[in-house]
Amino acid sequence: MHALIADYNYWIYILLMMIGLYAMLAKNNLVKKVIGMSIFQTAIIVFYVSIGAKEHASIPIIAHGSGHGAVEAAIDVAHYANPLPHVLMLTAIVVSVGTLGVALAICLGIHRRYNSLEEDEIQEQLQ
Amino acid sequence: MIWQLDFCVLTLIVICAFATIMVKDLLSAAIIFGAYSFLMCLLWTEMGAVDVAFTEASVGAGVSTVLFFAAVYQTTRRVGVRKSGRMLSKAFALVAALLTGLVLVIAEADFPGFGDIFTPASLHVSPYYITQTLHDTNVPNMVTSVLADYRGFDTMFETAVIFTAGLAVIAILRRFKKEDRCDLPEPYVISAGYPDTIIRFVARQLVPFIQLFALYVVAHGHHSPGGGFQGGVILGASFILLAISYDFKVVLGIMSERWNVLLGNIGVLIYAGIGFLCLLLGANFLDYSMLSKILPATDKIMARSHGMLGIEIGVAIAVMAIVISIYLNIVSHGKYDKGL
Amino acid sequence: MTIAVIMLTLAGLIFFFATTVGILRFPDFFSRMHAAGKGDTLSSLLMLLPLALYNFHEFDLANMLVALKVLLIAVFIFMASPTATHAILDAGYEAGIKPWTKKPEEESP
Repeated sequence: MHALIADYNYWIYILLMMIGLYAMLAKNNLVKKVIGMSIFQTAIIVFYVSIGAKEHASIPIIAHGSGHGAVEAAIDVAHYANPLPHVLMLTAIVVSVGTLGVALAICLGIHRRYNSLEEDEIQEQLQ
Repeated sequence: MIWQLDFCVLTLIVICAFATIMVKDLLSAAIIFGAYSFLMCLLWTEMGAVDVAFTEASVGAGVSTVLFFAAVYQTTRRVGVRKSGRMLSKAFALVAALLTGLVLVIAEADFPGFGDIFTPASLHVSPYYITQTLHDTNVPNMVTSVLADYRGFDTMFETAVIFTAGLAVIAILRRFKKEDRCDLPEPYVISAGYPDTIIRFVARQLVPFIQLFALYVVAHGHHSPGGGFQGGVILGASFILLAISYDFKVVLGIMSERWNVLLGNIGVLIYAGIGFLCLLLGANFLDYSMLSKILPATDKIMARSHGMLGIEIGVAIAVMAIVISIYLNIVSHGKYDKGL
Repeated sequence: MTIAVIMLTLAGLIFFFATTVGILRFPDFFSRMHAAGKGDTLSSLLMLLPLALYNFHEFDLANMLVALKVLLIAVFIFMASPTATHAILDAGYEAGIKPWTKKPEEESP
Protein backbone atom coordinates (compact mmCIF):
# COMPACT_ATOMS: atom_id res chain seq x y z
CA MET A 1 0.00 0.00 0.00
CA HIS A 2 2.76 2.36 0.86
CA ALA A 3 4.62 1.72 -2.37
CA LEU A 4 1.39 2.43 -4.25
CA ILE A 5 1.05 5.79 -2.55
CA ALA A 6 4.68 6.64 -3.29
CA ASP A 7 4.20 5.81 -6.96
CA TYR A 8 0.87 7.68 -7.06
CA ASN A 9 2.58 10.81 -5.78
CA TYR A 10 5.22 10.76 -8.48
CA TRP A 11 2.79 9.87 -11.25
CA ILE A 12 0.54 12.78 -10.30
CA TYR A 13 3.53 15.10 -10.44
CA ILE A 14 4.40 13.79 -13.93
CA LEU A 15 0.75 14.19 -14.99
CA LEU A 16 0.67 17.78 -13.75
CA MET A 17 3.86 18.61 -15.59
CA MET A 18 2.45 17.15 -18.80
CA ILE A 19 -0.80 19.11 -18.37
CA GLY A 20 1.25 22.26 -18.09
CA LEU A 21 3.37 21.33 -21.11
CA TYR A 22 0.29 20.52 -23.20
CA ALA A 23 -1.29 23.84 -22.27
CA MET A 24 1.84 25.72 -23.26
CA LEU A 25 2.03 23.99 -26.64
CA ALA A 26 -1.53 23.44 -27.78
CA LYS A 27 -3.60 26.28 -26.41
CA ASN A 28 -4.33 29.17 -28.69
CA ASN A 29 -4.85 31.89 -26.14
CA LEU A 30 -1.75 33.56 -24.73
CA VAL A 31 -3.05 33.83 -21.18
CA LYS A 32 -3.87 30.11 -21.22
CA LYS A 33 -0.24 29.45 -22.16
CA VAL A 34 0.85 31.55 -19.17
CA ILE A 35 -1.46 29.53 -16.92
CA GLY A 36 0.13 26.36 -18.32
CA MET A 37 3.55 27.75 -17.44
CA SER A 38 2.40 28.35 -13.85
CA ILE A 39 1.02 24.82 -13.58
CA PHE A 40 4.37 23.48 -14.83
CA GLN A 41 6.26 25.50 -12.22
CA THR A 42 4.09 24.37 -9.31
CA ALA A 43 4.41 20.73 -10.44
CA ILE A 44 8.21 21.04 -10.19
CA ILE A 45 7.78 22.42 -6.69
CA VAL A 46 5.63 19.41 -5.76
CA PHE A 47 8.45 17.14 -6.90
CA TYR A 48 11.14 18.88 -4.86
CA VAL A 49 9.04 19.06 -1.72
CA SER A 50 8.10 15.40 -1.97
CA ILE A 51 11.72 14.26 -2.15
CA GLY A 52 12.37 16.20 1.02
CA ALA A 53 9.44 14.78 2.95
CA LYS A 54 10.15 12.21 5.62
CA GLU A 55 7.77 9.79 7.20
CA HIS A 56 6.65 10.63 10.79
CA ALA A 57 8.73 13.78 10.60
CA SER A 58 7.81 17.15 11.95
CA ILE A 59 8.12 20.55 10.31
CA PRO A 60 11.64 21.96 9.99
CA ILE A 61 11.44 24.22 13.02
CA ILE A 62 13.31 23.06 16.09
CA ALA A 63 10.86 23.01 18.96
CA HIS A 64 12.89 24.01 21.94
CA GLY A 65 11.32 24.09 25.33
CA SER A 66 12.14 27.26 27.19
CA GLY A 67 14.19 30.13 25.81
CA HIS A 68 17.57 30.39 24.17
CA GLY A 69 20.70 28.97 25.56
CA ALA A 70 19.01 25.99 27.15
CA VAL A 71 20.84 22.71 27.14
CA GLU A 72 20.30 21.32 23.66
CA ALA A 73 19.11 17.79 23.53
CA ALA A 74 20.46 15.69 20.69
CA ILE A 75 18.64 16.85 17.57
CA ASP A 76 17.52 13.79 15.70
CA VAL A 77 17.87 14.29 11.95
CA ALA A 78 15.12 11.81 11.12
CA HIS A 79 12.70 13.82 13.21
CA TYR A 80 12.68 16.90 11.01
CA ALA A 81 11.78 17.29 7.39
CA ASN A 82 14.65 18.13 5.06
CA PRO A 83 14.89 21.94 4.89
CA LEU A 84 17.08 22.18 1.80
CA PRO A 85 14.40 21.59 -0.91
CA HIS A 86 12.11 23.99 0.94
CA VAL A 87 14.68 26.77 0.67
CA LEU A 88 15.19 26.20 -3.03
CA MET A 89 11.46 26.14 -3.66
CA LEU A 90 10.90 29.39 -1.74
CA THR A 91 13.18 31.08 -4.23
CA ALA A 92 11.39 29.30 -7.08
CA ILE A 93 7.93 30.49 -6.03
CA VAL A 94 8.96 34.12 -5.70
CA VAL A 95 10.81 34.08 -9.02
CA SER A 96 7.77 32.45 -10.63
CA VAL A 97 5.53 35.33 -9.58
CA GLY A 98 8.04 37.78 -11.03
CA THR A 99 8.01 35.81 -14.29
CA LEU A 100 4.20 35.78 -14.22
CA GLY A 101 4.11 39.57 -13.92
CA VAL A 102 6.46 40.05 -16.87
CA ALA A 103 4.59 37.46 -18.98
CA LEU A 104 1.23 39.17 -18.36
CA ALA A 105 2.78 42.55 -19.19
CA ILE A 106 4.00 41.13 -22.51
CA CYS A 107 0.47 39.75 -23.17
CA LEU A 108 -0.94 43.23 -22.54
CA GLY A 109 1.57 44.78 -24.92
CA ILE A 110 0.70 42.25 -27.63
CA HIS A 111 -3.04 42.85 -27.17
CA ARG A 112 -2.57 46.59 -27.51
CA ARG A 113 -0.60 46.18 -30.73
CA TYR A 114 -2.60 43.46 -32.51
CA ASN A 115 -6.00 43.69 -30.77
CA SER A 116 -6.07 39.99 -30.15
CA LEU A 117 -4.77 37.42 -27.71
CA GLU A 118 -5.08 34.47 -30.07
CA GLU A 119 -1.91 33.03 -31.50
CA ASP A 120 -3.17 32.32 -35.01
CA GLU A 121 -4.71 35.79 -35.47
CA ILE A 122 -1.45 37.39 -34.40
CA GLN A 123 0.50 35.21 -36.80
CA GLU A 124 -1.87 36.19 -39.62
CA GLN A 125 -1.32 39.86 -38.88
CA LEU A 126 2.41 39.38 -38.77
CA GLN A 127 2.48 38.30 -42.41
CA MET B 1 2.45 12.93 6.30
CA ILE B 2 -1.01 11.46 6.27
CA TRP B 3 -1.28 9.43 3.12
CA GLN B 4 -5.08 9.47 2.91
CA LEU B 5 -5.07 13.27 2.83
CA ASP B 6 -2.28 13.14 0.25
CA PHE B 7 -4.38 10.91 -1.97
CA CYS B 8 -7.52 13.10 -1.89
CA VAL B 9 -5.72 16.41 -2.32
CA LEU B 10 -3.63 15.13 -5.23
CA THR B 11 -6.76 13.95 -7.06
CA LEU B 12 -8.44 17.32 -6.53
CA ILE B 13 -5.32 19.11 -7.77
CA VAL B 14 -5.35 17.19 -11.05
CA ILE B 15 -9.05 17.94 -11.53
CA CYS B 16 -8.42 21.65 -10.93
CA ALA B 17 -5.49 21.68 -13.35
CA PHE B 18 -7.60 20.08 -16.10
CA ALA B 19 -10.42 22.53 -15.42
CA THR B 20 -8.15 25.57 -15.55
CA ILE B 21 -6.91 24.94 -19.04
CA MET B 22 -10.21 23.68 -20.47
CA VAL B 23 -12.55 26.50 -19.42
CA LYS B 24 -13.61 28.89 -22.16
CA ASP B 25 -13.64 32.02 -20.01
CA LEU B 26 -10.42 33.64 -18.81
CA LEU B 27 -11.90 35.00 -15.60
CA SER B 28 -13.11 31.55 -14.58
CA ALA B 29 -9.70 30.12 -15.48
CA ALA B 30 -8.06 32.66 -13.15
CA ILE B 31 -10.38 31.78 -10.27
CA ILE B 32 -9.89 28.04 -10.73
CA PHE B 33 -6.15 28.69 -10.80
CA GLY B 34 -6.53 30.38 -7.41
CA ALA B 35 -8.29 27.26 -6.10
CA TYR B 36 -5.48 25.10 -7.57
CA SER B 37 -2.91 27.22 -5.72
CA PHE B 38 -4.74 26.86 -2.43
CA LEU B 39 -4.90 23.08 -2.86
CA MET B 40 -1.16 23.05 -3.57
CA CYS B 41 -0.64 25.00 -0.37
CA LEU B 42 -2.63 22.38 1.56
CA LEU B 43 -0.59 19.58 -0.04
CA TRP B 44 2.70 21.15 0.97
CA THR B 45 1.56 21.75 4.54
CA GLU B 46 0.65 18.08 4.76
CA MET B 47 4.12 17.13 3.46
CA GLY B 48 5.76 19.25 6.13
CA ALA B 49 6.83 22.25 4.03
CA VAL B 50 5.15 25.03 6.00
CA ASP B 51 7.33 27.88 4.75
CA VAL B 52 6.76 26.90 1.13
CA ALA B 53 3.01 26.59 1.77
CA PHE B 54 2.92 30.04 3.40
CA THR B 55 4.71 31.58 0.44
CA GLU B 56 2.45 29.85 -2.05
CA ALA B 57 -0.67 30.94 -0.15
CA SER B 58 0.36 34.58 -0.13
CA VAL B 59 2.14 34.76 -3.49
CA GLY B 60 0.54 32.12 -5.66
CA ALA B 61 -3.04 32.15 -4.48
CA GLY B 62 -3.14 35.81 -3.53
CA VAL B 63 -1.07 37.99 -5.79
CA SER B 64 -1.06 35.75 -8.89
CA THR B 65 -4.86 35.61 -9.00
CA VAL B 66 -5.10 39.39 -8.68
CA LEU B 67 -2.52 39.83 -11.45
CA PHE B 68 -4.54 37.54 -13.74
CA PHE B 69 -7.67 39.57 -12.99
CA ALA B 70 -5.83 42.78 -13.76
CA ALA B 71 -4.57 41.40 -17.06
CA VAL B 72 -8.05 40.12 -18.04
CA TYR B 73 -9.52 43.52 -17.12
CA GLN B 74 -7.20 45.23 -19.58
CA THR B 75 -7.59 42.75 -22.43
CA THR B 76 -10.48 40.46 -23.16
CA ARG B 77 -12.36 37.74 -21.35
CA ARG B 78 -13.22 35.59 -24.33
CA VAL B 79 -11.15 32.66 -25.46
CA GLY B 80 -11.35 32.31 -29.21
CA VAL B 81 -11.20 29.16 -31.26
CA ARG B 82 -8.24 28.49 -33.48
CA LYS B 83 -9.28 28.84 -37.08
CA SER B 84 -6.81 26.67 -38.93
CA GLY B 85 -4.58 23.82 -37.97
CA ARG B 86 -6.44 22.97 -34.79
CA MET B 87 -6.12 19.21 -34.91
CA LEU B 88 -2.52 19.41 -35.98
CA SER B 89 -1.41 21.55 -33.07
CA LYS B 90 -3.36 19.48 -30.54
CA ALA B 91 -2.00 16.22 -31.93
CA PHE B 92 1.56 17.50 -31.92
CA ALA B 93 1.29 18.79 -28.37
CA LEU B 94 -0.33 15.57 -27.16
CA VAL B 95 2.40 13.45 -28.75
CA ALA B 96 5.14 15.64 -27.27
CA ALA B 97 3.56 15.56 -23.81
CA LEU B 98 3.02 11.79 -23.94
CA LEU B 99 6.59 11.09 -25.03
CA THR B 100 8.06 13.30 -22.31
CA GLY B 101 5.71 11.75 -19.77
CA LEU B 102 6.74 8.27 -20.85
CA VAL B 103 10.42 9.08 -20.42
CA LEU B 104 9.72 10.49 -16.96
CA VAL B 105 7.66 7.47 -15.91
CA ILE B 106 10.50 5.16 -16.93
CA ALA B 107 12.88 7.32 -14.90
CA GLU B 108 10.48 7.23 -11.99
CA ALA B 109 11.43 3.68 -11.14
CA ASP B 110 14.74 5.01 -9.84
CA PHE B 111 13.26 7.75 -7.70
CA PRO B 112 13.80 7.54 -3.94
CA GLY B 113 10.86 6.20 -2.01
CA PHE B 114 8.39 8.76 -0.83
CA GLY B 115 9.01 9.54 2.82
CA ASP B 116 12.22 7.57 2.98
CA ILE B 117 14.70 8.85 5.56
CA PHE B 118 17.76 7.80 3.61
CA THR B 119 17.10 9.55 0.32
CA PRO B 120 20.24 11.10 -1.20
CA ALA B 121 18.76 14.56 -0.68
CA SER B 122 18.75 14.05 3.08
CA LEU B 123 22.15 12.49 3.50
CA HIS B 124 24.94 14.90 2.68
CA VAL B 125 24.65 18.56 3.62
CA SER B 126 21.19 18.56 5.11
CA PRO B 127 22.02 16.81 8.41
CA TYR B 128 24.65 19.47 9.04
CA TYR B 129 22.03 22.19 8.62
CA ILE B 130 19.50 20.43 10.82
CA THR B 131 21.88 19.73 13.70
CA GLN B 132 23.99 22.86 13.62
CA THR B 133 21.54 25.68 13.00
CA LEU B 134 20.66 26.25 16.63
CA HIS B 135 24.31 26.04 17.61
CA ASP B 136 25.66 28.35 14.90
CA THR B 137 22.95 30.96 14.57
CA ASN B 138 20.46 30.51 17.43
CA VAL B 139 17.53 30.50 15.00
CA PRO B 140 15.14 27.56 15.36
CA ASN B 141 13.57 27.87 11.92
CA MET B 142 15.94 25.86 9.75
CA VAL B 143 14.50 27.15 6.50
CA THR B 144 15.11 30.79 7.47
CA SER B 145 18.64 30.11 8.63
CA VAL B 146 19.56 28.24 5.46
CA LEU B 147 17.84 30.86 3.29
CA ALA B 148 19.32 33.93 4.95
CA ASP B 149 22.61 32.77 6.35
CA TYR B 150 24.04 29.57 4.90
CA ARG B 151 22.74 30.29 1.38
CA GLY B 152 22.42 34.06 1.68
CA PHE B 153 24.06 34.74 -1.66
CA ASP B 154 21.21 33.06 -3.56
CA THR B 155 18.63 35.09 -1.69
CA MET B 156 20.40 38.33 -2.51
CA PHE B 157 20.24 37.60 -6.21
CA GLU B 158 16.64 36.45 -5.87
CA THR B 159 15.79 39.89 -4.48
CA ALA B 160 17.65 41.44 -7.39
CA VAL B 161 15.59 39.25 -9.77
CA ILE B 162 12.34 40.54 -8.26
CA PHE B 163 13.55 44.10 -8.65
CA THR B 164 14.47 43.39 -12.27
CA ALA B 165 11.01 41.93 -12.91
CA GLY B 166 9.44 45.15 -11.64
CA LEU B 167 11.70 47.20 -13.88
CA ALA B 168 10.87 44.96 -16.85
CA VAL B 169 7.13 45.47 -16.37
CA ILE B 170 7.68 49.23 -16.25
CA ALA B 171 9.84 49.06 -19.38
CA ILE B 172 7.24 47.04 -21.30
CA LEU B 173 4.12 48.95 -20.35
CA ARG B 174 5.12 52.57 -19.84
CA ARG B 175 5.65 53.53 -23.41
CA PHE B 176 4.49 56.80 -24.85
CA LYS B 177 5.60 56.68 -28.47
CA LYS B 178 2.95 57.12 -31.13
CA GLU B 179 3.40 53.88 -33.09
CA ASP B 180 2.93 51.71 -30.00
CA ARG B 181 -0.52 52.98 -29.21
CA CYS B 182 -3.22 51.81 -31.59
CA ASP B 183 -6.13 53.43 -29.77
CA LEU B 184 -8.19 50.48 -28.70
CA PRO B 185 -11.71 50.92 -27.37
CA GLU B 186 -11.87 51.07 -23.61
CA PRO B 187 -12.03 47.73 -21.86
CA TYR B 188 -15.56 47.00 -20.78
CA VAL B 189 -16.14 47.95 -17.21
CA ILE B 190 -18.88 46.76 -14.93
CA SER B 191 -18.76 49.28 -12.14
CA ALA B 192 -15.65 51.37 -12.08
CA GLY B 193 -15.19 53.42 -8.94
CA TYR B 194 -18.58 52.64 -7.45
CA PRO B 195 -18.18 53.99 -3.90
CA ASP B 196 -19.67 51.22 -1.82
CA THR B 197 -19.82 52.07 1.85
CA ILE B 198 -19.55 48.61 3.35
CA ILE B 199 -16.55 47.54 1.31
CA ARG B 200 -14.74 50.80 1.90
CA PHE B 201 -15.41 50.74 5.62
CA VAL B 202 -14.31 47.16 6.16
CA ALA B 203 -11.23 47.58 3.98
CA ARG B 204 -10.29 50.73 5.85
CA GLN B 205 -10.58 48.89 9.17
CA LEU B 206 -8.73 45.79 8.03
CA VAL B 207 -5.73 47.29 6.25
CA PRO B 208 -3.82 48.38 9.40
CA PHE B 209 -4.24 44.92 10.91
CA ILE B 210 -3.09 43.25 7.72
CA GLN B 211 0.02 45.41 7.70
CA LEU B 212 0.66 44.71 11.36
CA PHE B 213 0.37 41.00 10.67
CA ALA B 214 2.81 41.37 7.77
CA LEU B 215 5.35 43.05 10.05
CA TYR B 216 4.80 40.27 12.58
CA VAL B 217 5.48 37.68 9.87
CA VAL B 218 8.74 39.41 8.93
CA ALA B 219 9.95 39.76 12.50
CA HIS B 220 8.86 36.33 13.67
CA GLY B 221 10.44 34.49 10.78
CA HIS B 222 13.11 33.08 13.04
CA HIS B 223 10.73 31.12 15.22
CA SER B 224 7.75 30.32 13.06
CA PRO B 225 7.05 29.96 9.35
CA GLY B 226 7.50 33.33 7.78
CA GLY B 227 10.27 35.64 6.79
CA GLY B 228 10.92 38.48 4.43
CA PHE B 229 9.17 37.28 1.27
CA GLN B 230 5.87 36.35 2.84
CA GLY B 231 5.74 39.55 4.89
CA GLY B 232 6.59 41.72 1.91
CA VAL B 233 3.91 40.11 -0.25
CA ILE B 234 1.28 40.54 2.46
CA LEU B 235 2.25 44.21 2.78
CA GLY B 236 1.88 44.63 -0.98
CA ALA B 237 -1.46 42.81 -0.89
CA SER B 238 -2.78 45.27 1.70
CA PHE B 239 -2.11 48.11 -0.71
CA ILE B 240 -3.80 46.18 -3.52
CA LEU B 241 -6.85 45.78 -1.24
CA LEU B 242 -6.86 49.54 -0.76
CA ALA B 243 -6.66 50.09 -4.52
CA ILE B 244 -9.52 47.70 -5.25
CA SER B 245 -11.88 48.93 -2.55
CA TYR B 246 -11.19 52.63 -2.90
CA ASP B 247 -9.97 54.26 -6.03
CA PHE B 248 -6.87 53.41 -7.98
CA LYS B 249 -5.58 56.95 -7.55
CA VAL B 250 -5.52 56.66 -3.76
CA VAL B 251 -2.72 54.11 -3.86
CA LEU B 252 -1.04 56.01 -6.66
CA GLY B 253 -0.94 59.05 -4.39
CA ILE B 254 0.67 57.07 -1.58
CA MET B 255 3.03 54.89 -3.59
CA SER B 256 3.87 56.69 -6.80
CA GLU B 257 6.09 55.14 -9.42
CA ARG B 258 9.11 57.01 -8.13
CA TRP B 259 8.63 55.70 -4.60
CA ASN B 260 8.06 52.15 -5.79
CA VAL B 261 11.29 51.98 -7.72
CA LEU B 262 13.13 53.80 -4.95
CA LEU B 263 11.90 51.44 -2.25
CA GLY B 264 12.68 48.40 -4.37
CA ASN B 265 16.17 49.76 -4.78
CA ILE B 266 16.52 50.48 -1.07
CA GLY B 267 15.53 46.91 -0.25
CA VAL B 268 18.26 45.40 -2.42
CA LEU B 269 20.66 48.04 -1.12
CA ILE B 270 19.97 47.07 2.51
CA TYR B 271 20.71 43.45 1.68
CA ALA B 272 23.90 44.10 -0.23
CA GLY B 273 24.81 46.86 2.20
CA ILE B 274 24.81 44.53 5.18
CA GLY B 275 26.97 42.13 3.22
CA PHE B 276 29.32 44.93 2.29
CA LEU B 277 29.41 46.09 5.90
CA CYS B 278 30.65 42.65 6.90
CA LEU B 279 33.29 42.99 4.20
CA LEU B 280 34.40 46.34 5.63
CA LEU B 281 34.65 44.85 9.10
CA GLY B 282 37.15 42.32 7.92
CA ALA B 283 35.27 39.10 7.15
CA ASN B 284 33.81 37.52 4.04
CA PHE B 285 30.86 39.05 2.19
CA LEU B 286 27.61 38.26 4.07
CA ASP B 287 29.42 36.77 7.06
CA TYR B 288 27.24 38.24 9.77
CA SER B 289 29.29 37.13 12.75
CA MET B 290 31.55 40.15 12.24
CA LEU B 291 28.59 42.41 12.97
CA SER B 292 29.19 41.68 16.63
CA LYS B 293 31.89 44.32 16.51
CA ILE B 294 29.45 47.17 15.91
CA LEU B 295 26.25 45.88 17.49
CA PRO B 296 26.38 46.44 21.25
CA ALA B 297 26.38 43.48 23.62
CA THR B 298 26.04 40.63 21.15
CA ASP B 299 28.31 37.69 20.63
CA LYS B 300 29.02 36.14 17.26
CA ILE B 301 26.05 33.78 17.34
CA MET B 302 23.45 36.45 18.12
CA ALA B 303 25.07 38.75 15.55
CA ARG B 304 24.22 36.19 12.88
CA SER B 305 20.63 36.15 14.07
CA HIS B 306 20.41 39.95 13.94
CA GLY B 307 22.08 40.07 10.55
CA MET B 308 19.42 37.70 9.25
CA LEU B 309 16.69 39.97 10.59
CA GLY B 310 18.30 42.94 8.85
CA ILE B 311 18.34 41.31 5.45
CA GLU B 312 14.80 40.00 5.90
CA ILE B 313 13.68 43.59 6.40
CA GLY B 314 15.46 44.59 3.20
CA VAL B 315 13.79 41.75 1.29
CA ALA B 316 10.35 42.69 2.66
CA ILE B 317 10.70 46.31 1.57
CA ALA B 318 11.84 45.34 -1.93
CA VAL B 319 9.12 42.72 -2.44
CA MET B 320 6.36 45.05 -1.20
CA ALA B 321 7.37 47.85 -3.54
CA ILE B 322 7.71 45.59 -6.55
CA VAL B 323 4.38 43.79 -5.98
CA ILE B 324 2.59 47.14 -5.78
CA SER B 325 4.44 48.41 -8.84
CA ILE B 326 3.64 45.35 -10.98
CA TYR B 327 -0.04 45.52 -10.00
CA LEU B 328 -0.32 49.27 -10.71
CA ASN B 329 1.29 48.88 -14.10
CA ILE B 330 -0.70 45.87 -15.24
CA VAL B 331 -4.09 47.10 -14.12
CA SER B 332 -3.78 50.49 -15.77
CA HIS B 333 -1.77 49.37 -18.81
CA GLY B 334 1.00 51.75 -17.84
CA LYS B 335 -1.12 54.82 -18.34
CA TYR B 336 -1.92 55.43 -14.66
CA ASP B 337 -5.24 57.07 -15.37
CA LYS B 338 -7.74 54.59 -14.07
CA GLY B 339 -7.83 51.00 -13.07
CA LEU B 340 -9.67 48.42 -10.99
CA MET C 1 -13.36 18.96 26.35
CA THR C 2 -12.51 16.38 23.71
CA ILE C 3 -16.21 15.65 23.21
CA ALA C 4 -16.89 19.33 22.59
CA VAL C 5 -14.04 19.48 20.06
CA ILE C 6 -15.31 16.44 18.18
CA MET C 7 -18.92 17.67 18.20
CA LEU C 8 -18.00 21.12 16.89
CA THR C 9 -15.79 19.67 14.14
CA LEU C 10 -18.57 17.34 13.03
CA ALA C 11 -21.05 20.21 13.02
CA GLY C 12 -18.64 22.24 10.89
CA LEU C 13 -18.32 19.36 8.43
CA ILE C 14 -22.09 18.97 8.17
CA PHE C 15 -22.52 22.68 7.47
CA PHE C 16 -19.75 22.58 4.84
CA PHE C 17 -21.50 19.69 3.14
CA ALA C 18 -24.79 21.61 3.20
CA THR C 19 -23.04 24.66 1.72
CA THR C 20 -21.63 22.60 -1.15
CA VAL C 21 -24.99 20.98 -1.89
CA GLY C 22 -26.58 24.44 -1.84
CA ILE C 23 -24.06 25.87 -4.29
CA LEU C 24 -24.67 23.02 -6.67
CA ARG C 25 -28.45 22.83 -6.45
CA PHE C 26 -29.80 26.33 -6.10
CA PRO C 27 -31.29 27.71 -9.32
CA ASP C 28 -30.12 31.28 -9.25
CA PHE C 29 -27.00 33.39 -8.72
CA PHE C 30 -28.39 35.21 -5.69
CA SER C 31 -29.54 32.11 -3.85
CA ARG C 32 -26.23 30.39 -4.57
CA MET C 33 -24.44 33.34 -3.01
CA HIS C 34 -26.69 32.95 0.04
CA ALA C 35 -25.43 29.41 0.42
CA ALA C 36 -21.81 30.27 -0.33
CA GLY C 37 -21.50 33.35 1.84
CA LYS C 38 -23.42 32.43 4.95
CA GLY C 39 -22.68 28.70 4.95
CA ASP C 40 -19.00 29.26 4.30
CA THR C 41 -18.54 31.75 7.12
CA LEU C 42 -20.44 29.66 9.63
CA SER C 43 -18.63 26.45 8.74
CA SER C 44 -15.21 28.10 8.94
CA LEU C 45 -16.01 29.51 12.36
CA LEU C 46 -17.35 26.17 13.56
CA MET C 47 -14.14 24.46 12.48
CA LEU C 48 -11.78 27.07 13.92
CA LEU C 49 -13.44 27.09 17.34
CA PRO C 50 -12.52 23.47 18.18
CA LEU C 51 -8.94 24.18 17.08
CA ALA C 52 -8.80 26.95 19.66
CA LEU C 53 -10.54 24.84 22.30
CA TYR C 54 -8.15 21.95 21.77
CA ASN C 55 -5.29 24.06 23.08
CA PHE C 56 -6.97 24.42 26.45
CA HIS C 57 -5.82 20.94 27.43
CA GLU C 58 -2.67 22.24 29.14
CA PHE C 59 -2.67 25.74 30.57
CA ASP C 60 0.71 27.13 29.64
CA LEU C 61 1.61 30.31 27.81
CA ALA C 62 2.50 28.82 24.45
CA ASN C 63 -0.81 27.01 24.10
CA MET C 64 -2.76 30.06 25.21
CA LEU C 65 -1.00 32.11 22.55
CA VAL C 66 -1.90 29.56 19.87
CA ALA C 67 -5.55 29.56 20.98
CA LEU C 68 -5.60 33.36 20.93
CA LYS C 69 -4.14 33.46 17.41
CA VAL C 70 -6.72 30.98 16.12
CA LEU C 71 -9.50 33.10 17.65
CA LEU C 72 -8.06 36.18 15.94
CA ILE C 73 -8.22 34.32 12.63
CA ALA C 74 -11.88 33.55 13.37
CA VAL C 75 -12.57 37.24 14.01
CA PHE C 76 -10.88 38.16 10.73
CA ILE C 77 -12.94 35.63 8.79
CA PHE C 78 -16.08 36.91 10.47
CA MET C 79 -15.28 40.42 9.25
CA ALA C 80 -13.94 39.70 5.78
CA SER C 81 -16.08 36.87 4.42
CA PRO C 82 -19.50 38.63 4.59
CA THR C 83 -17.91 41.71 3.02
CA ALA C 84 -16.62 39.60 0.15
CA THR C 85 -20.09 38.09 -0.31
CA HIS C 86 -21.55 41.59 -0.38
CA ALA C 87 -19.00 42.65 -3.00
CA ILE C 88 -19.82 39.70 -5.27
CA LEU C 89 -23.57 40.27 -4.93
CA ASP C 90 -23.14 43.95 -5.68
CA ALA C 91 -21.20 43.14 -8.82
CA GLY C 92 -23.87 40.68 -9.90
CA TYR C 93 -26.64 43.19 -9.30
CA GLU C 94 -24.79 45.91 -11.22
CA ALA C 95 -24.27 43.50 -14.12
CA GLY C 96 -28.03 43.13 -14.35
CA ILE C 97 -28.66 39.55 -13.31
CA LYS C 98 -32.38 39.12 -12.72
CA PRO C 99 -33.58 37.03 -9.78
CA TRP C 100 -35.08 33.64 -10.54
CA THR C 101 -38.85 33.53 -10.50
CA LYS C 102 -41.02 30.47 -10.51
CA LYS C 103 -42.40 29.90 -13.99
CA PRO C 104 -46.17 29.41 -14.39
CA GLU C 105 -47.26 25.79 -14.80
CA GLU C 106 -48.47 25.82 -18.42
CA GLU C 107 -45.19 27.08 -19.82
CA SER C 108 -43.01 24.20 -18.64
CA PRO C 109 -43.03 20.96 -20.65
